Amino acid sequence: MYALEVRNLSKSFDTLKAVDDVSFSVPEGSVFGLIGRNGAGKTTTIRMMMNIYLPDSGEVILRGSKIGQEFKDKVGYLPEERGLYKKMKVMETLLFFAELKGKTGREVEDKANEYLERFDLTDRKNSKLEDLSKGNQQKVQFITTILHDPEFIILDEPFSGLDPINTNLLKEIILELKKKEKVIILSTHLMDFAERMCDHIAMIDEGKIILHGNLEEIKKSFGQRNVTISHTGDISFVKSYPFIEKFESFGNVTSIRVKNPSQIQELLKTLVEKNTIIKKFDAEDISLHQIFVEAAGKKSADKYRMEAANV
Amino acid sequence: MFSRRTIAILKRELREKLMSRTFIIMTILLPLFMIGILAFQTFLYSYEGDSNTNLIIVTESDSLKAEMQKEFEQLPFVKSGYYKINFESMNNTELDKYINTHKSELLSETLTGLIFVSDSAMFTKQVEYFSKNPTNRTLFDKVRPTINNVLVTNYFRGKDISEEDISYARQNVGFNNFRISSEKSVEEEGAGTVIVAFLFTFLLYFSLIFTGQMMMRSVVAEKSNRIVEILLSSANSKELMTGKIVGTSITGLIQMAIWLLPVILLVTTAWFTLPPEFTLKLNMFQVGYFLLNYFIGLITFMGLFTSVGAIFDNEQDTQSGMWPIMMLIMIPFFIAIAMLENSSNSIARIASMLPFASIIVMPARMVLSEIPVWQFVVSFIVNIATMVLLFPLAGKVYRVGILMSGKKPKWSEVAKWLRYKY
Repeated sequence: MYALEVRNLSKSFDTLKAVDDVSFSVPEGSVFGLIGRNGAGKTTTIRMMMNIYLPDSGEVILRGSKIGQEFKDKVGYLPEERGLYKKMKVMETLLFFAELKGKTGREVEDKANEYLERFDLTDRKNSKLEDLSKGNQQKVQFITTILHDPEFIILDEPFSGLDPINTNLLKEIILELKKKEKVIILSTHLMDFAERMCDHIAMIDEGKIILHGNLEEIKKSFGQRNVTISHTGDISFVKSYPFIEKFESFGNVTSIRVKNPSQIQELLKTLVEKNTIIKKFDAEDISLHQIFVEAAGKKSADKYRMEAANV
Repeated sequence: MFSRRTIAILKRELREKLMSRTFIIMTILLPLFMIGILAFQTFLYSYEGDSNTNLIIVTESDSLKAEMQKEFEQLPFVKSGYYKINFESMNNTELDKYINTHKSELLSETLTGLIFVSDSAMFTKQVEYFSKNPTNRTLFDKVRPTINNVLVTNYFRGKDISEEDISYARQNVGFNNFRISSEKSVEEEGAGTVIVAFLFTFLLYFSLIFTGQMMMRSVVAEKSNRIVEILLSSANSKELMTGKIVGTSITGLIQMAIWLLPVILLVTTAWFTLPPEFTLKLNMFQVGYFLLNYFIGLITFMGLFTSVGAIFDNEQDTQSGMWPIMMLIMIPFFIAIAMLENSSNSIARIASMLPFASIIVMPARMVLSEIPVWQFVVSFIVNIATMVLLFPLAGKVYRVGILMSGKKPKWSEVAKWLRYKY
């Protein structure tokens, strides 16, 4: 049973096709990663899932029926571009957003206090948002996202602009929420984060889904022909062997793809025969980034790398 | 009627606006500002710039000179030294020489002018005025009645006419103003009516623009702060817009009611009595209509201001989007002000039943003259219809615009938004 299914969503802005026939499913209790570079269509897809944009075509199914207003009450949404009322006080802000979601009273207030304590903000309870540091504002924003105890938590680029300590705090909380069987959907262009946090992913590029499913299975299917080798000395001579499909060297670490899974043993044998010193030979290992490169093609991947370098 | 989300947004708007320093300051400051304007106007009106007037009145006969002197010296503006008048008598032939000797004074305006009353003036009532600025209406208006009086008295003297008749002949025509209405007979009209009409017009004009700009600023802020996306993840754009507009309109209404409190107390209680020249005919129905009309106007105009705010993502750009709305407020404002001069102005009559204009023109018209019931009904229906028709359009522009950012959109693009499926 899927918690949320996205079916054939499309959305154009004038001539730009921002989202093109996007489909994927989010299983119950999963941490789902929507991965792609900036401008790939992640935010537009999320906005359609949130019913902020109406799709040109397609639909979003919540546990078997189309989403509507009741979905909004069940969701906590952290948009990519953060913002709160600057003149409002921290506690007022938290209670206002909870009220919008239909939660009022003592219980929410207690919970808000709990979270403020946890995020080390108790003493700022009655400060205006504009008097808080940017990091603290982000924390407040995150509390507004989860204060009403949503079943679904949608985080658009949640780690952007966070310092390492708060990044860890946020990760911790995401994993906690996962334990509470919440469905967490996070969009990110940071592949290694996604790789560590998510158990399901959908990769989106130029408005299209290029890959989606269980992360482990994806890795497995992509990894079958992949090897990562740590070594000393030059092994570029293997490039010329007929069973090598792809060879990429990063100095002492080289990733190689063979044409057929059974040829991995042959590769190992050849390297040993040539007296190469091998420190680590890791078959079936492939990074999410490599998968992205393969799925999206070289051009997109290069663009992606440039953007990532700028972040 | 409203969803709980709309109410949550509405409550937040109310809390934020009513507690804001701007609201409190404006509520106190505006009446002071208005009193200032009125006082300044009155000052301008009454200030004629004729202090230090220095006149010489020359008569041909000595007896006339004495009479002139006697009459003029009773006048308050002469007694107070505001006008300095010297009296001479000489005949026609000596006059030219006399003027020549005073030429330099006349040219430097230390002597304002010279009035010559010849003996023949007693029959022709024509006097001569010599001055550097020979057309001085203010001066003529001040001295004319007195000169007339002296001439009239002189003319009838010895003609076997009673003092009573003479004093009648001396008297000028005065206007007492009465208003004809269908309800009661005839009522005396005071300047209070015009003041209240001005007050209504000015308050509408000022507060629609002021509240509208505040509203627009808050929409632009929400848009550029990106709060709107979080709001929209909980409420839809219609709920958001409704909550904001109704919240702001209620704030506006409260403010207006505070401003009108003196007027309301004047109408409902006997705590104040106005001097008779200020009496006005105003009842609670009119005050109530004014407030209701203002509330509808607020909602309508706030709809416009909100959608303009949603189109742009910084305050500078909003200026270009604002002028069409400003026209919708300013043109009716000028029509209403023109109406203060003549309340049967037919442009005003038409404007008081047109969309948008009606909101500003009707209240002043209603105070100035009696309006047939059907015109009230038409105006009211037009206002409601405008509001109802405008809202979906404004809502659409708002919905599309609020999430757009980047380049400033062209009007043609905004028109396209109306057809967007969102």
